[in-house]
Amino acid sequence: MAEHRRFTGGEAVLEVNGATVGAVINELEVRFPGLGAALRAGSSAGINGEIHAEPEFVAVNPETTIYFVAPLAGG
Amino acid sequence: MTATENPTGYKWIGTRPVRHDGYEKVVGKARFAADLDLTGQLYTAYVRSPHAHARVLSIDTAAAEAMPGVKAIVTGADFPDLDPLDPNYDVSINVMARGTALYHGHAIAAVAALTKAEARAAAAAVAVSYDVLPAVLTIDEAMAEGAPLANEENYQKFAPPGDPTNISTHTPLERGDAAEALAGADIVIEREFDAAHVHQGYIEPHACVVDAGLDGKANVWCSSQGHFMIRAVTAGILGRETSRIKVTPAEIGGGFGGKTTVYLEPVALLLSEKSGRPVKSVMTREEVLRATGPAPGCKMRVKIGATKDGELVALDAWMAYSLGAFGDFAGMVGAMSVASYKFPNLKLEAWGVLTNTPKTAAYRAPSAPHAAFAIESVIDEIAIELDMDPIDLRLKNAAVEGDLTAMGMPHPRIGFVECLEALKASPHYQSPVPEGASRGVAAGFWFNIGEQSSATVNLNEDGTATVLTGSPDIGGSRASMALMTAEELGIDVYAITPVVADTEAVGFTDVTEGSRATFATGKAVVEACRELIGELKIRAATIHGVEPDQVEWIDGAAHVEGKDPLSLAQITEQAKRTGGPLTATASLNAAGAGPSFAVHCADVTVDEETGQVTIIRYTAVQDAGTAIHPSYVEGQMQGGSVQGIGWALNEEYIYNADGVMQNAGFLDYRIPVASDIPMIETIIVEVPNPSHPYGVRGVGETGIVPPMGTLGNAIRRATGVRMTSMPMSPPKVLARLSENN
Amino acid sequence: MSRTHVSCNINGEDVEFLTADASSLLDALRNELGLIGAKEGCGTGDCGSCSVLLDGRLVCSCLVMAPEAEGRDVVTIEGLAEGDHLHPLQKTFLEGAALQCGICTPGFLLAAKALLDANPNPTETEIRYGLAGNLCRCTGYDKIVKAVQEASVELRGA
Repeated sequence: MAEHRRFTGGEAVLEVNGATVGAVINELEVRFPGLGAALRAGSSAGINGEIHAEPEFVAVNPETTIYFVAPLAGG
Repeated sequence: MTATENPTGYKWIGTRPVRHDGYEKVVGKARFAADLDLTGQLYTAYVRSPHAHARVLSIDTAAAEAMPGVKAIVTGADFPDLDPLDPNYDVSINVMARGTALYHGHAIAAVAALTKAEARAAAAAVAVSYDVLPAVLTIDEAMAEGAPLANEENYQKFAPPGDPTNISTHTPLERGDAAEALAGADIVIEREFDAAHVHQGYIEPHACVVDAGLDGKANVWCSSQGHFMIRAVTAGILGRETSRIKVTPAEIGGGFGGKTTVYLEPVALLLSEKSGRPVKSVMTREEVLRATGPAPGCKMRVKIGATKDGELVALDAWMAYSLGAFGDFAGMVGAMSVASYKFPNLKLEAWGVLTNTPKTAAYRAPSAPHAAFAIESVIDEIAIELDMDPIDLRLKNAAVEGDLTAMGMPHPRIGFVECLEALKASPHYQSPVPEGASRGVAAGFWFNIGEQSSATVNLNEDGTATVLTGSPDIGGSRASMALMTAEELGIDVYAITPVVADTEAVGFTDVTEGSRATFATGKAVVEACRELIGELKIRAATIHGVEPDQVEWIDGAAHVEGKDPLSLAQITEQAKRTGGPLTATASLNAAGAGPSFAVHCADVTVDEETGQVTIIRYTAVQDAGTAIHPSYVEGQMQGGSVQGIGWALNEEYIYNADGVMQNAGFLDYRIPVASDIPMIETIIVEVPNPSHPYGVRGVGETGIVPPMGTLGNAIRRATGVRMTSMPMSPPKVLARLSENN
Repeated sequence: MSRTHVSCNINGEDVEFLTADASSLLDALRNELGLIGAKEGCGTGDCGSCSVLLDGRLVCSCLVMAPEAEGRDVVTIEGLAEGDHLHPLQKTFLEGAALQCGICTPGFLLAAKALLDANPNPTETEIRYGLAGNLCRCTGYDKIVKAVQEASVELRGA
């Protein structure tokens, strides 16, 4: 999400290692302090065409693209 | 589980049985929340703020407490103080003000008495003194430099700690270079739009009955879109253990997003505890309009650039939504629904803004109708400018699988192109525009969501099945659950009893929202059925003395080569001998909700003397993935369309200068009646969602997204005037027509 | 609190009840007589959810004082079916999926009965105006209008 680019010095696309989304977020927090907490507080993750509301333990591999998106709601 | 690409060949899916809960509803026996009474129950009345923003200096309940019949009174002082970071904090303040009234109608105190009349009299005798504060009523006022604060406790999410602000969320999104692409575009159209608050307008006012005991347990009966949510939020607000509260869902008389939150239950629970008696609490219609969730109003600027052959090259949009007095509205993502089109360059800023108006709540595809009104209006201007057919322009730019949403993630398999093609080929679009009328087209979509669902399927000894889910049925979902069960088990749909079970009878289930019930809860039902079929095969193998893998389940019976088939009933009647009752439960957190796209078309006439817009023909096309019960899919499309028509043409919150709603009743807040509209023709498109066993996409919300653009575009083509302010009501249309002349 | 004794006929049966003078017929039906089919959607006569027939005429029972029912015939949704035979309108509403949440359904059925009693063969426009005093927020009215059309055919054929 663009509002998080303030943590990354403007970078929108990052290459990060990790076996789960949670591990990826931990790695992002190390590299960009504050980003991990912001992602955990309010984002869903789009992975392989499906949106996961609480993606912490969703497995990923080196080929996976994770899209952090605003949490979805509905009426 | 994968979707069946060829949906033909189903026995039950796609049929139209009479809904299982229908009989009770046509004979007057169905029990909605206000239809339950407990012996000895008390009735409630609320004291509500007469000011849009005021400090509450004192609340004196002594006189009221001494009045006849009064058994308990609660105020904000009776509620525990939550941490401002607690997810229930805003709702907690909304159900009962603590020190500051944040909008006209904000609850200040509540009385429980023996009769409604006594409760009302006592509420009127509660003495409250206020220090009136400046009220912020519009987006412009709220965003102005040096504006007074609508809510002194609002801090922008994720912002570093600092001064409170009237901004709750600010979402900037960008890809490519919109400014450069707009500079190079052949045509650029820019317009500004605004819209008033509108209400979901469910016919059943909020209601509950609560019986709290001295042992800390409480029984709650209420109408909501999610009784597990009612349990969790009530417990959270009151600092109770979740499991000590049991919530039993009543029939729900409409929700549309407005019953995804809590208003009455924590207050009634405290009143019941204080009085030692059951408490029945029912809102009046006026309270519903003044104190429950309208949808946000908005202000928007949209600029779109295109090449001369109709390729949309860039979108630059600024969108602000007025969320009411609290910032925790989760529907801002509706602004992201701009990405029905490819838009290689995109710059979008979405703002959530606080005003001293009622706390907004979700309303069908929350905040997407506003965005679609703006985008679809500007796209129509481009079609007019380029003299292109509005469907062809959209086809040229429609997003397909792999194209990026505004948030940057690729769309999964979607059916936008299929919807556009279906409308183009429809009898309506193929017919000439009637003389004196004009035709408008617009599109829209909603992402839909998955979330958590549980289902239990019990096979009964007579070969029937009872299906328990935790999803309140707001539009026919019980019939859908029964149809999916019938298809899986191979038994008659009327041999199935679908039940919306209470919080102690079925596993946790999230709110019926985001068009998720038939998708996610349906998926849980299918999983439970498939587990049962595995068990039925084992039982059949036991009866026949063969291995389970020698058994096939076909059309409701176990088949073993060389043996007579065993029907489901023949197996269940022998259950005791083969291992006991047959039952299965499935719980899941569903990912893969499929976005549902829609395209609408309207023929309208505009009375140039009165500004009245009359719809003479209307067609709604929508991708359902797979229509489980087509009648209720059509019902969602038609109901959503007419709500959207009301929003587009007539409905609005009218506030006076003090922030007091001037039209808080169904006479003046006028929702469409039967004589306002024609038949809503429907075309169901079926592009299966690969993430559902039958290909279901939710259909509940999308139908409300296209009507505003559709009607604005029809009015534009009828009159030459581009309406940019909703509602496009007769006085506003007339004013624009006279400007134009 | 003074209470008034009311005798009337409800759904074909003579009924007596006591009611507060300020009570509406809707409150009396729901609270004194246990007839919960009439619903309160607004309490101001704007939504039609509380529709009943009073001496054959469609009224919003929230706008009728309970003592006004003295000596009169009241038909509520509970009296629309004859024994175990659903009224044709009830059948066509069910078969045509003319209800979603169902809160407005009792009122629509009685409004439609009043319409067809007065005009057995209404046009679509007459149906739409005949039902314009009843609000439905779920269906968009489409399937309700069609169900009334079908019931009118069945009633005229019978």
